[in-house]
Amino acid sequence: MVSRMKKIVKNIISAGLALSITAAMTVTSYASEPYVSYNYDAWGDAIPSQSGYRVDETITGYEMELDKLADPKSDLFISDEEPTDLLGASDIFYEESLKEFWIADSGNDRILRTDSNLKVIGCYKGVSGSQTSLDAETGLSVFSNPTGVYVNIDKATNKPVIFVADNKNARVVKATVESKNSAVCTLEYTKPDSELYANASETFNPSKILVDSAGILYVVVSSVTTGAVVFDETGTFTGFYGANRVEQTAAVIRQAIWRKFASNEQIASMTRNVPVEYANFDIDSEGFIYTVTEAANASTDAVKKLNPAGENIWNTATGNQFEFGDLPEYASVDTGSFLSRLTDIVVDNDGIINLLDYETGRIFQYTQDNDLLFIFGSKNTTSDQRGTFTAPNGIEAVGEKIYVIDGKKNDITIFVETTFGKYVHEAAALYEKGLYEDAIEPWNEVIKRDGGYSLAYYGLGKAYLNTGDYEKAMENFKVSVAQNSYDRAYQYDRDDFLRANFTLIIIILLIIIVAIIVLRRLFRKGIIKMPKIKKKPQKEGK
Amino acid sequence: MYEFSQLGWLKHVIFHPVEGYDDLRWKKKGSMKIAMVIVLLLFVAMVVKRQLTGFQFNDSYVKIFNIVPLFVQSIVYFFTWVIANWALCTLFNGEGTVKRICIYSAYALVPYIVGTFLSVFISNFIVSDEVVWMNVIYYVGLGWSVVLMIQAIRTVHQYSFPKTLLSIVFTLVAMLVILFLLVLLISLFQQVYVFIASIYTELTYRFRG
Repeated sequence: MVSRMKKIVKNIISAGLALSITAAMTVTSYASEPYVSYNYDAWGDAIPSQSGYRVDETITGYEMELDKLADPKSDLFISDEEPTDLLGASDIFYEESLKEFWIADSGNDRILRTDSNLKVIGCYKGVSGSQTSLDAETGLSVFSNPTGVYVNIDKATNKPVIFVADNKNARVVKATVESKNSAVCTLEYTKPDSELYANASETFNPSKILVDSAGILYVVVSSVTTGAVVFDETGTFTGFYGANRVEQTAAVIRQAIWRKFASNEQIASMTRNVPVEYANFDIDSEGFIYTVTEAANASTDAVKKLNPAGENIWNTATGNQFEFGDLPEYASVDTGSFLSRLTDIVVDNDGIINLLDYETGRIFQYTQDNDLLFIFGSKNTTSDQRGTFTAPNGIEAVGEKIYVIDGKKNDITIFVETTFGKYVHEAAALYEKGLYEDAIEPWNEVIKRDGGYSLAYYGLGKAYLNTGDYEKAMENFKVSVAQNSYDRAYQYDRDDFLRANFTLIIIILLIIIVAIIVLRRLFRKGIIKMPKIKKKPQKEGK
Repeated sequence: MYEFSQLGWLKHVIFHPVEGYDDLRWKKKGSMKIAMVIVLLLFVAMVVKRQLTGFQFNDSYVKIFNIVPLFVQSIVYFFTWVIANWALCTLFNGEGTVKRICIYSAYALVPYIVGTFLSVFISNFIVSDEVVWMNVIYYVGLGWSVVLMIQAIRTVHQYSFPKTLLSIVFTLVAMLVILFLLVLLISLFQQVYVFIASIYTELTYRFRG
């Protein structure tokens, strides 16, 4: 009877459980991100992690109100045929003082200007005051496939100045913005007329541009492998900046050895080993330039942080070990083989580095010390799921939001940081400043949400090391597998122990020494006799 | 001349690398039981080294503990060594029997085992600046064992010194061959097993209807 009752109760419970699980499953699958959020642990194993970002919105031409451009009633009206969607957009730039986005809508040959909510407030098809690529009807010097845009504010006139990498017209345009749809060209950077440049490349098709605080223009030209092309503020070519190194593959080394023995004719017939050009760059608030190399699976100089002299300041004994992007052991889910192609980099005001992988559609977020914070985003073949990309071309970070522009889906995806992400960023920022103790609280919040987040334990370890709580520091360093830091904590801990118990240790040592001397004396005088060991009767040799 | 217990003989051999084995051989001593315990301790030392080395010196992948490689690296290697050495040296006028090679080789391992245990022990009390102490103890043990092993092989087969070294090199080669064949054999039998198992599965499906 009892057993029967038990059985019924059991059935009811299990049915209830099954029901609740199914219900829960539908709910979670609805709310979850369209990708698996993961992180790498100390061994380089991919482990599941909480998402640091979630997809907030996907913005298309409709949400950007691009139809205003073709609407005669609107003050933004350009023409009836003006496309009302993005097409192959390749760059997105955020101007901080204006709080405006500038988008290079490459396929539509225009630069779009939007407010911080991505509503369009201006559109530039070309500039006036230049004779290149003149349009007969409007009299504008029109853009042709503009692939890069950079904006700063002219301090004298307080007007925005845009720099446009006008790819097919082989020029970079500097123009002062006058109104919602007109800009006056003030300077045109064209192919440098120097032997130095002629040696590097025959063409000049700028793809990405950057201007530092001194007004010096850096241009990425995809046919130039000797670094970015640099122009000073008057528009004269001054040289190249921060070239990549040649990746030491087996073929390159073999050729280097061959060159030692080959005759001049043979050397002339050999292919030259040139480094891969970098694809994109960004400048941080301190004026350091970060470059990213798009070549598939690049391991040499994939990501660099350049000082004004063009040297990679991460290229030190420790920096050489910096790794960015997915680890080669982890193959892409779609293709089964490893492929990584870092296409864009953006550094936000806190120095947090975001990398965009074109091949996997993933965004990798790092601190300045190469600590991986988050991996999010994904590539999708069906292209209709929010938060997945088909051709992610550009990335921009503004505050708590990350904007990714897609050149095939023709939209902009906005990621917004989660609560988890907020705590991680807060803690990481404090940690970067060296305020380890202040970071204890946010790190604890991080651990509450993701117990496998090893950077949090490392941060806690550092904090406890600073406060002198070495036991706790050791515990945390052990969890985050930080052997060197653990070693330091252990050293301090041991020093403390020895200092505290110095007298006791000396006393014990003295007692032992005295005991040995006394016992020896007693042995010699025969007062104590050696205990006899019973010897086993040995068999004589077999 | 020498009257020791079995453990006394072990001590005598270890601390007299030059003539210890000769005495052992002359007196026809050496215990198989002790030898087996030593081999077991070798295995334990390997495990201890992996698991109990101080955190700051321990680079092993602690997420998974697989005992099979450690077992192979200690016990399987040891017996392969014994068999390979015997098989080779009987062909080259060696006088050793399997039993004696086994006992003498095992005795030679003791300094290495002791060194490993000691270095693991102190690794828990030192920082990385003092790592040299740990390494010294470990490598002294290792070197001592190597010297003893050469002496063991020299004595057991009554070889000259150069011939001993040569025989050790060839023993290592023979070990490789044996292990290769062993792996081959295992994989072949595995395939046979899979074949039979699949036939069995097939048949059960047929008969079930």
